[in-house]
Amino acid sequence: MTTTETVEGYRPPQPDRAGLLARLADVWTEFEARLEEVPILRALAAGDVTVADYQRLLHNLRQQVVDGSLWIARAASNFDMDHFDLRSAAISHALEEHRDHLLLERDYVAVGGSLEALRAGRKNVGSQALSGYMFHEASRPNPVGCLGAMFIIEGLGAQKAGVWARRFQEVLGLADNQVHFMAYHQDADAEHTGTLDAILTSDRIDDAAADAIVTCARVVARLYVMQLTELDEI
Amino acid sequence: MWLNNPMSATAYLTGLGRYLPGEPVSNDDVARRLGGVDRRTDGLRARVQRANGIRQRYYALDDEGRTTELNEELAVHAIEDALTDRGITASDLGMLACATTQGDLLVPGFASMVHGRLGGGPMQVLTASGVCASSIAALDAAVSKVRLGEHPRAAVVGSELSSRWLHQRRFEGVEDHLDAHFLRWMLSDGAGAAIVEFQPRPDRPSLRVDWIRQVSLAHEHEVCMRAGLDGPTAVAGRTWQDYDDVATAEKAGLLQIRQETAVLDELAAAGLAQFEELVDRGLVDLKKLDHVLCHYSTNAFRDLVFDALSARIPGMDTSRWFSNLETCGNTGAASIFIALEEAWRTGRFAPGETILLAVPESGRFSFGFAHLTVVEPRRSTT
Repeated sequence: MTTTETVEGYRPPQPDRAGLLARLADVWTEFEARLEEVPILRALAAGDVTVADYQRLLHNLRQQVVDGSLWIARAASNFDMDHFDLRSAAISHALEEHRDHLLLERDYVAVGGSLEALRAGRKNVGSQALSGYMFHEASRPNPVGCLGAMFIIEGLGAQKAGVWARRFQEVLGLADNQVHFMAYHQDADAEHTGTLDAILTSDRIDDAAADAIVTCARVVARLYVMQLTELDEI
Repeated sequence: MWLNNPMSATAYLTGLGRYLPGEPVSNDDVARRLGGVDRRTDGLRARVQRANGIRQRYYALDDEGRTTELNEELAVHAIEDALTDRGITASDLGMLACATTQGDLLVPGFASMVHGRLGGGPMQVLTASGVCASSIAALDAAVSKVRLGEHPRAAVVGSELSSRWLHQRRFEGVEDHLDAHFLRWMLSDGAGAAIVEFQPRPDRPSLRVDWIRQVSLAHEHEVCMRAGLDGPTAVAGRTWQDYDDVATAEKAGLLQIRQETAVLDELAAAGLAQFEELVDRGLVDLKKLDHVLCHYSTNAFRDLVFDALSARIPGMDTSRWFSNLETCGNTGAASIFIALEEAWRTGRFAPGETILLAVPESGRFSFGFAHLTVVEPRRSTT
């Protein structure tokens, strides 16, 4: 008998037993690289955007942002008593996200967009996939994997949104009043990220939970990029 | 007052409009509209007209002395002209700032009436009352709110219907005041409007608002241009609202617009000192100032101001100076917008050029200035 190691051919991926934070750091690095290829973010970095581009981005984000507190609340309702602390964290987080879209809507109107049109909008295909996946994950019993989604989405808010806000302000000469949504997330999500890190490094995250978190983070990273890439593709 | 930082939120004038009621009225026909054809009045009129240099003007007043349009209608026509120039509608506006010396009504505010007539959606309204420089106060308010990101678009209008105050019926049987004739044969009706936006317009150049400054020197001057006041100082019991009835106040001349002409030289000197301060503070770069649009009541001040500016501005000549006082008349708070509109429409401005708007107000010595730069549309290269 020969062992599979000596035979040329496909080798399925092996479990990664590095620490969870190190694994998530790799996920983040890869996510950042993917974001750099997103057309609207490339244009933003190059200073080649118009107010219509900013409106387009807000319009597309809004359709999925309104679902944020919904899937977090659903996840909260699926944590049993053994996961009471995660339920608490999710409930508070859902409450914080609950009014998030109102900031975005204010910005959209402040740059000349129509609130009616914004609210009548539909999710683009990336948002559809992202939202559908999040509701699916959140519907499972004890959906610990959702922490991976939060890692990506909160990280985006804490590390990227503020930079985008400032860049849109620089390029288009926008007032603070027109970039609330992105600017707010820089502070709010930095706080959320701190809370999340404490949970991710706690004893309760076993190997299976870590795998679920990393996988969810990787899927969400890809779907988020898809949401940003497929603007107006409904 | 603020100095624009190119990295910060900015406001742009993206559309301009004006409305001058009826047909132009030549100097000889002015008395036919306003009345007052006795020999003494004729002599006063000829003298005032010679001095102010106005060749024609407009009145919302027919030959019988009846008002043909409301002040708020003039304002709405000018705003609609500016909206058309920009290619948007009143429903796109988030704010309406109106400047006038005297609205049609005592209550409510002029801007509420203009909004009611204009239509559009819910919007912020502001009435800047005063005289000529209220135009700059209204512009400042709209520009500030747009820069704060509170409204993507606003309209500003300066509008005047002074002919009602100048007609013979305001003079007959009224105590004679020589100082009421100066403005009687100078002021006329009209409206000018501008659209203010947080982005330059995409299809044509816009006027970036670099800064606005409005300053009052009332702390060291008595009233100069006034109505409703008996004598040079406001005293309780002696304003037009304190008389036993309004008719008595009118008989005493309190419903005439009067001008203390003796202090007008002082006003010009104070205005030039304000201009020097702008230069001193670096708000105006004399080497880069391409156009000066100054509101003045008479050509006598034009020469005075022009000579003073020529001494300070290298290469200052008449091509950089624009006024349409002679053809549009002195329309008070509307004048600066009516001048800007014509200069803009007739292609005087090229991208990169700078414009100084200057509006001295004799009322009680106040001054409004605005600095603009012509900018190209923001284009995406994708």
